Amino acid sequence: MTDPKPRQSKDVSEAQAIERAKQGDAEAFQVLYDMHKRRVYSLCLRMTANTAEAEDLAQEAFLQLFRKIGTFRGESAFSTWLHRLSVNVVLMHLRKKGLPVVSLEETTQGSGGEEDTPKKDFGAEDVALAGSIDRLQLRRAVESLPPGYRTIFVLHDVEGYEHNEIATIVGCSIGNSKSQLHKARMKLRDLLKMQRAEKAEKS
Amino acid sequence: MTCVELQQSLAEIEDGSGAEQRAHLETCPTCLALLAELNLIASSARDLSEANEPSPRVWNSIEIVLRTEGLIRPPRADRPHPASFAARWGFARWMVPAAAALLILVGIYVRQHSLASPENMATIPAQQPLQDAAAAGLNDDELLQEVADKTPATQAQYQDHLRRANEYIQDAKQDVQADPNDEEARRSLMEAYQQKAMLFDMAMDRSLP
Ligand SMILES: [Zn+2]
Repeated sequence: MTDPKPRQSKDVSEAQAIERAKQGDAEAFQVLYDMHKRRVYSLCLRMTANTAEAEDLAQEAFLQLFRKIGTFRGESAFSTWLHRLSVNVVLMHLRKKGLPVVSLEETTQGSGGEEDTPKKDFGAEDVALAGSIDRLQLRRAVESLPPGYRTIFVLHDVEGYEHNEIATIVGCSIGNSKSQLHKARMKLRDLLKMQRAEKAEKS
Repeated sequence: MTCVELQQSLAEIEDGSGAEQRAHLETCPTCLALLAELNLIASSARDLSEANEPSPRVWNSIEIVLRTEGLIRPPRADRPHPASFAARWGFARWMVPAAAALLILVGIYVRQHSLASPENMATIPAQQPLQDAAAAGLNDDELLQEVADKTPATQAQYQDHLRRANEYIQDAKQDVQADPNDEEARRSLMEAYQQKAMLFDMAMDRSLP
C-alpha cells in the first residue's frame, strides 16, 4: 500500500514527535494525532457509516497505537502501521457486531445473480456520470452500500490497498476481493445515477 | 465478447486493457461509457480518505486515557535539578552513608511498585512520599527543629527547600508509578531522595567540614 498523502507538521517532524511521545510528551502525542486524525477517522466513518461508532473506533485505534509506540523502531512507515492497525480495529468491531466484513456469495462467473446482470442503464445516457463526482454524493452512496461491498471498496479505492493485501487483511480470496470491488463500483454507479436523477427532478 | 461478458470481465481486468475487452470496447459505446464511469468512481474515491474531521471529543478522551495510564508524563525540565541545588547550597560532596541508605530505600520502593497494577497506583495517597521519607529518618519536623536556633531567614530557606524537595520526590514517584521500568524516572526518584537527605545533612552539620 502506498500512502497517498503523508502529512508533516511544519514545526515538528513525525520522527521527532514519535521520539518525544516515547518520553511521555503530551504535545508530541497530540502532534501525531493531528497528523493522522482525519485519515483514521474518515476510514472508521466510511466503514461504519456511523459517527458515534467511528469516533469510538478512531479513539481505540490511536490508543492501541500510543500504547505500543515504545516498540516502534521505524522499520515500516508510521502511517502504514497506524492505518493497518485502524483497519484491524474496525474489522474486529464489524465482526463483533455480526456484520459481514465481506459478502459471502460465491464468486463464480455467470452465476446469474441480480448483481451480475448488466443494468439496462435506466434512463442511461441522460444521467451519465461525466465530469467529476460530488464528494458528498459519493460519501452518501458509499454509506448506503451493503456492508460487505463497502469494506472492499473502502480498502481498495479509498485507502489504496491491493487485492492481495485485502485478501490477507479480510481473510477472503483475491478473486472474491476483485469481484466484490467490481460489484461495489457497479452499485455505486447506480446509486450516484439515482441521486443525480432525483436532483434533476427537484430542480 | 458480449456486453455481459465484458462487464463480468471488468472484475478481473478492471481497466479494460485485455485484448478481448479492447476489441469489444472499440465497437460498443455503452460499455466504453460504463468503463469510464467506473474509473471515475474509483479515482474520486481517493478524495474520501481524509474527508472528515473527528470532533474534539476524540482527542480529549484519548488524552485522559493517556494520562490515566501514565503514557503522558509531566515534563522534567521544570523540576529543581539536584546538581544546581547542591551548588546553590555550596555542596561539592555529600555523605556516602546517606546515599547508600537511600539507594536501598529507592530499590524497595521501585520493586514494590513494579508489581502494582496501574489502577492501584492511581489511588496511592499524596502524603505517601513523606511517610516513606519519615521512615528513612527524613522527618520534616525533626529537620525544622534542628534549624530552630538559626536565623529566621535561614529557617525560611530550609522550609522552602524542604517543600521543593518533597515536591520533587512526589513528581519522581509518580513517574516511577507510571512506568516502573523507566530508568530515568528511577534515577530522578533517587536524586530526589538524595536532595532531601542533603538538607538533613546540612541541618545537622554532619557534612560540613
Ligand atoms: Zn458492450
